[in-house]
Amino acid sequence: MSEKSIAWIHADNLNPHQRILEENPDIPAIFVWDDELLKQWKISFKRIVFIYECLLELPVIIRRGNVAEEVAMFAKEQGATKILTPESPSPHHTVICEAIREQIPDAKIEIVAPPPFVDYENENLNLKRHSHYWKQVKKQAFKPTKS
Amino acid sequence: MSEDMRRNFDNRDELIGYLKEEFLEAHTIDPNVSDEFIGGRKAAEERLQQTDGGRNYQNTRNYIDGGVSRLSPYIRYGVLNLAEVRDFVLQQVDKPNDAYKFINELSWRDYWQRLYQQIGNEIWENQEPYKTGYMDYEYADDLPDDIQNGTTGVKLIDNIVQELRETGYLHNRYRMYFASYVVHWRGVKWQTGARFFLIHLLDGDPASNNLSWQWVASTFSHKPYIFNLGNVRKYTGDTYKAPAEEIGMQDFATSYDDINKQLFRKHATS
Repeated sequence: MSEKSIAWIHADNLNPHQRILEENPDIPAIFVWDDELLKQWKISFKRIVFIYECLLELPVIIRRGNVAEEVAMFAKEQGATKILTPESPSPHHTVICEAIREQIPDAKIEIVAPPPFVDYENENLNLKRHSHYWKQVKKQAFKPTKS
Repeated sequence: MSEDMRRNFDNRDELIGYLKEEFLEAHTIDPNVSDEFIGGRKAAEERLQQTDGGRNYQNTRNYIDGGVSRLSPYIRYGVLNLAEVRDFVLQQVDKPNDAYKFINELSWRDYWQRLYQQIGNEIWENQEPYKTGYMDYEYADDLPDDIQNGTTGVKLIDNIVQELRETGYLHNRYRMYFASYVVHWRGVKWQTGARFFLIHLLDGDPASNNLSWQWVASTFSHKPYIFNLGNVRKYTGDTYKAPAEEIGMQDFATSYDDINKQLFRKHATS
């Protein structure tokens, strides 16, 4: 029997056609409003409304609280040991992934990247200034994504 | 376990009413909702269909009423990814070079994200020292009330604040004017201004936002960004054509050289 998975969707990828949801059409999915971040950043009401409207087009249940605790609890509710989540550049995402692992030590967390704009690993790019980066990626940036 | 939040609403007003109760603190501080930007993939696709990433964008994007895409709130939340926006624009143009500037601008977003991945929370630190002749500690930590409330008397700045609060979106040129005013004219740390933007901008994310503020501040560029009234008049149409005194912009009605001398201890080159 294959292991059961859930999707933890966050605000860096609210695309209903993202790979996690397309490849796993019946996957139980959750989005959690991060109380800590809301308190810290005090994002305006208009931003909240915009994000919520995005969420209404996604097959997710919406909760609010401590993100790691809520995701871990949702995984347990669903009897899942694998958590699929979209990639994020934010260090906060890494912190939450670690906190989930503390709650469910045997959880596997798989981070899924969107199609790349240009297919380079960061360590192979000079990111000192945009002009350096652009010189390296320019050629590929004008090539359409292979389907 | 928290309870599931609601997903079914008959219309936008009902949704907003529900969110007002759920996020009362945010609503009390500022109840504005953007009428121009509706969240979600459906709205994003409609906007993408209207996007002209070719010559018109190239020629007019610097002007406030120019042909910019306003896709950034959707890109910020990944509702649209950069690759699909690029692919769409490439299909529109006769030859890829016609979309050069548009794709170059998309690449900035990719660049900021990659840099963020690399430096993490250091995105809040000066990447380099200020090139203004001032040290970091000489800049203020708090954003003055008249800036936050849009009551500085400088019409350009006050209009920008009003637009930001009401719509959650600003043309890039307005973002640069505002950041330059906050950091260089008012001597406020870029981090403070960046936080104000992150509260309000629908497309606000620490990567693009903070690094752009640092570019203006000169902590991630070779020199501070400044503007004068001539530049404002060139790019904003008729709004600021009135005499400088009438729009509170007499200090800006001079040359870049004069502004450099006035604002910076070590004469920054323009």
